[in-house]
Amino acid sequence: MDNGMEAMLETYLYETNSLLDALDELLVNDEKIGDFSSDDVNEIFRSMHTIKGSSAMMEFNSLATIAHHIEDLFFYIRDKGIESLDSEHKKELFDLMFRSGDYLRSEVQKVEEGSPLSAEAEIDSFASEINAFLKKISNTADEAPEETADETPAPEEKSAAPGMPEDPDAAAFLHIYLEEGSGMENLYAFMIINALQDAFVFRCYPPDVETNPDTSAEIIENGFYVAFDSREDVEQAESMLKSQAHIRSYEILENPGKKTAAPAPAASDVKTQEAPPAKQEPPVSDSKPAAAPAKAPAAVPAKAHAPVKQNLISVNVMKLDSLLDIVGELVITESMVTSAPELNQLSRDSFDNFMKSARQLRKLTDDLQDIAMSLRMVPISGVFQKMNRIVRDMKQKLNKDVRLIIEGENTEMDKNIVDSIQDPIMHIVRNSMDHGIEETQDERIRAGKDPQGTLILAATHTSSEVVITVTDDGYGMDPAKLLAKASEKGLLTKPAEEYTKKEALNLIMLPGFSTNQTVTEFSGRGVGMDVVKKNIESVGGTFALDSELGSGTTVTMRIPLTLAIMDGMKVTVGRSIFTIPIANIMQSFKITTDEIIYDDYGNEMVARMDSFYPIVRLHRFFNLETEVENLEDGILLWVEANDRSYCIFVDQLIGEQQVVVKPFPTYLNSFELKNFGINGCTILGDGSISIILDVLGLYGAAVNEK
Amino acid sequence: MSEQTTNVNLDAEETSAQEEATTVERCLSFQVDDLILFLSTDYIVEIVNDYPITPLPMVPSFVKGMINLRGQILPVLDMRLCMDKPPAEYTGKTCVIRLDIDSAPLCIVIDSVCQVLDIDFKEVRPIPVKRQQKLLNGMIDLGDGKVMMSFDCNVLLEKRY
Repeated sequence: MDNGMEAMLETYLYETNSLLDALDELLVNDEKIGDFSSDDVNEIFRSMHTIKGSSAMMEFNSLATIAHHIEDLFFYIRDKGIESLDSEHKKELFDLMFRSGDYLRSEVQKVEEGSPLSAEAEIDSFASEINAFLKKISNTADEAPEETADETPAPEEKSAAPGMPEDPDAAAFLHIYLEEGSGMENLYAFMIINALQDAFVFRCYPPDVETNPDTSAEIIENGFYVAFDSREDVEQAESMLKSQAHIRSYEILENPGKKTAAPAPAASDVKTQEAPPAKQEPPVSDSKPAAAPAKAPAAVPAKAHAPVKQNLISVNVMKLDSLLDIVGELVITESMVTSAPELNQLSRDSFDNFMKSARQLRKLTDDLQDIAMSLRMVPISGVFQKMNRIVRDMKQKLNKDVRLIIEGENTEMDKNIVDSIQDPIMHIVRNSMDHGIEETQDERIRAGKDPQGTLILAATHTSSEVVITVTDDGYGMDPAKLLAKASEKGLLTKPAEEYTKKEALNLIMLPGFSTNQTVTEFSGRGVGMDVVKKNIESVGGTFALDSELGSGTTVTMRIPLTLAIMDGMKVTVGRSIFTIPIANIMQSFKITTDEIIYDDYGNEMVARMDSFYPIVRLHRFFNLETEVENLEDGILLWVEANDRSYCIFVDQLIGEQQVVVKPFPTYLNSFELKNFGINGCTILGDGSISIILDVLGLYGAAVNEK
Repeated sequence: MSEQTTNVNLDAEETSAQEEATTVERCLSFQVDDLILFLSTDYIVEIVNDYPITPLPMVPSFVKGMINLRGQILPVLDMRLCMDKPPAEYTGKTCVIRLDIDSAPLCIVIDSVCQVLDIDFKEVRPIPVKRQQKLLNGMIDLGDGKVMMSFDCNVLLEKRY
């Protein structure tokens, strides 16, 4: 497959996936109300039309066929009005649409994976299901089923001009010739028709010009026809065509077969569009004055629709990453320049001038950094919307009545993080639906709760992290039960009486702990909360659980806004500067000699808040030369990560700074520095390199192996 | 193929005549301790000096640390230590050469840079001693009594020294 084809496939997948996502969101929302608005019907119709067209272009027939049938169905609904359906049918329609959406999605997935698409028979059975539904609703609507007759009138062969279709209603035709040799005539035809579709009512001949690859030979040869009901539309459409690429030439033909209008000579005027495809220059001078005034009104609808499709572009994340890198460098270089010692040699006046410009520069680089950062940020709504769907499906399967409330879905996070928290959130939502919410409504009523369960999915921003909570008002967790279960599995590390409530709740996050007796379709597949916790921690987040027996459970996830930038505390050891993530630091303090406690191996420990913590001397662990050897002279940092808590001994603190995390050069990877608690490095304001410590890794290397 | 053989023959006949293009490479020669080495300029990106080297803990001693070269963080290897030579103070003559080996960037520290010259790799002979330096893979007599060693930078990536 050549490059162009790959790019096209990528665009296709991106477009189809986003259409399907939008469809899902729309369906879930509409189902809550139990009705489609006519706007939504149009929306579904349009997106199915697009999927049909582009799938046929890419020759993914299964997708095209299904989309085509749904399109037919919605064409009918659009025609008759959604009001013509009774609630029973609507319910069925929702179900059918959800399944169709899933079907299309699974096909798209097959395309992505490069596996073969569904066989004809399978498509047919699904398609006939849709058709059956269409038949059903068209019968009850006691109208003669004239469904798609309007859209696809079969062109009859005999006509006045050679190849000109017969259409008694049309006032005029646009006869469009596409560029030669492009090999993508169907796609271009589809693009043109799509553009016109937003503004006009028209029919085109051959009717399936956009989708049927077989017609391409004919289009190349004879062009294709677009029939308009009124002369005005033709003129407006003509001006729209001028902005379309890939058109070789077009002509306006009066319809000789029109019933009322007097027969006109076939070709009234012919224009050739010489503009190259990429440019949108208007073609040769207007030979017909009437066309000029028509342009202005036509421009309005064209503009109104265009931006919807064009104000988003998809960019490779790699490019964004390197942009962020460069901006990071720029910021550092800027501060290097403005703090250069040579500046002191400037005269007072020129120094003031310099500082004025420097401030301006600082402002610009700050803005630039903000924008570059925001480029990677995407709203979390995509993940939340998917939960909508999961809740809906589980509601039906488990026969529980649950209302999902979504708050703060516009909270933005780094793209990578949004991708990686989707599974954990999904798992938690499933757990809440499956085990959290009471089995029956009676049970809820007896407990004095609203018969309808509530699941709240919320996201809020704090300065450096996003807090996501999943709250249900179900059973809640019983610490006693958890403890009993844990001791049964042999997971307890101390007598059950000594467990606090929080500790008991945290038992659920141990590997191999699952309170559900049986494996259900949605949860209890052997992976439990421990996996969820691990996933959250892998993106630098923390995970906490709170539950009140009888009133529900809240799961709180705190996740850093971005992985690329973090708040660090700079510390010195000898001549080296290390950066420790602020998030890990609990406290920093000085101690006196008599506070140090030794064990029988001579390991140093210190007491803090009624507990004892080991001391890790960075200079000893890393073999660094320093003058600060005495624990009284330096400073201790009490750090915690993942329930591992200890103290790091350093020479002194320099201060807090936001740093851009950079991975080590590839050459150094083989030394496995991560095992020694060295996580990456960063470039400080003066251009020097600082090593970022991984508090957890350092614990493993320094404390465990002592 | 036939063309190549004739060329070789020509070279064999008239040694001083223009050498065959494919085996001649522009090389940089440099000194490490008492050895003079050369390396094809294809591997060399630039010579960087005066960048502070940040030491890195928990790595072998020949890894001197990292430098920040215009935002890119590069590892720095000391060639003296790689070849088991006694370490030396870094002076004004000490050079850091930035290499790009199979698109893995790294820097090496050498004592001094000598010159850039064209070397015909056909004339590079294998080193006839058994316990040779692993980083060297050949030697060449320049005619004026000086002998240069071919520096095999690919070995650097394998870390077998």
